[in-house]
Amino acid sequence: MLKSILIVDDSPVARMIMKKCLPTDHGLTIYEASNGQEGVERYFSHKPDLTFMDLTMPVMDGFQALSTIKQRDPDAVIIVATADIQEKVLSRVTTLGALHTIKKPPSKEALKDALERATQALKH
Amino acid sequence: MTAEILNNIFAQDEKDILQEVMNIAFGQASAELAEVIDIFVILSVPDIQVLQGSDLPGYLCRELQTSGTVNIIEQNFLGKFAGQALLIFPSGAEKDLLTLFNQDQEFINNDIDMDTLERETLIEVGNILIGACIGKIAELLADVVTYDPPRLMAKDLCLEDCNKSPVAPDSFVISIRTVFRFEEQNVEGYLFLITNQKSIDWLKKALFAFLESFG
Repeated sequence: MLKSILIVDDSPVARMIMKKCLPTDHGLTIYEASNGQEGVERYFSHKPDLTFMDLTMPVMDGFQALSTIKQRDPDAVIIVATADIQEKVLSRVTTLGALHTIKKPPSKEALKDALERATQALKH
Repeated sequence: MTAEILNNIFAQDEKDILQEVMNIAFGQASAELAEVIDIFVILSVPDIQVLQGSDLPGYLCRELQTSGTVNIIEQNFLGKFAGQALLIFPSGAEKDLLTLFNQDQEFINNDIDMDTLERETLIEVGNILIGACIGKIAELLADVVTYDPPRLMAKDLCLEDCNKSPVAPDSFVISIRTVFRFEEQNVEGYLFLITNQKSIDWLKKALFAFLESFG
């Protein structure tokens, strides 16, 4: 069972939407970061079970943050949340080590599926 | 000046929701454009400003001061959110766009002259970009829009000579500045949505309805 989630997104509204769509009965601890660099810092200070990563952000984008985290912690479970689901984007984030990609704005079903995938990944 | 106008028209929470709707719309539009034209497309995070129509020429002069002249593609959209979309590229961008869309030189061998080809490329790119962006905004806000055909409103327009605003002075202009990146080429473009008080009032309600739809 997941205990903590880090949401990395420069938009406060996107973070709010993500939180609204997450199940409320899991007692999840939610951490937030507003750019990739802050996301990397928060990841290593909190070591969340799952990280949702936006791609287009100021200071450090999601590609770089994903790559930085996975290089230092190959077991990190990171799911990319993006509106842009071009094949080249999907291929790049998969190569960088993302577990999965969800389309923005997320649906509750998509997030439920994402949490299940993350839970399975943590078991292995 | 623009920040003051923006603050007067949109409260901070409304501006945050509008920004996120535009982020999502542009992201989804990128993906659909890539599918349509089979070229990897990145639309940068849109920078949004709200201006009054009378301030548009001065804003354009400041923003595009290095390029001098511009091409403007215009397309009207009709719905609860209605208005006029202006897509503005610095002069010369049409050559880059034509190169991208015509890599196999298919059209060059035909009898169409280069000016016509470049003009038609601008109009078609405008049609695709405006349709993708406006269509996504409308979809996210549960609206349905229809479009008039796009047209090349101005070719090689010198902004410094442009004393009159191309839009009504009392209209509202939502300026969305983005960089269109196609494969290896960057083409900077500006998308302006010119709308009215009625549409702004509807837009505010729709933005909150969008947020509330997530429970």
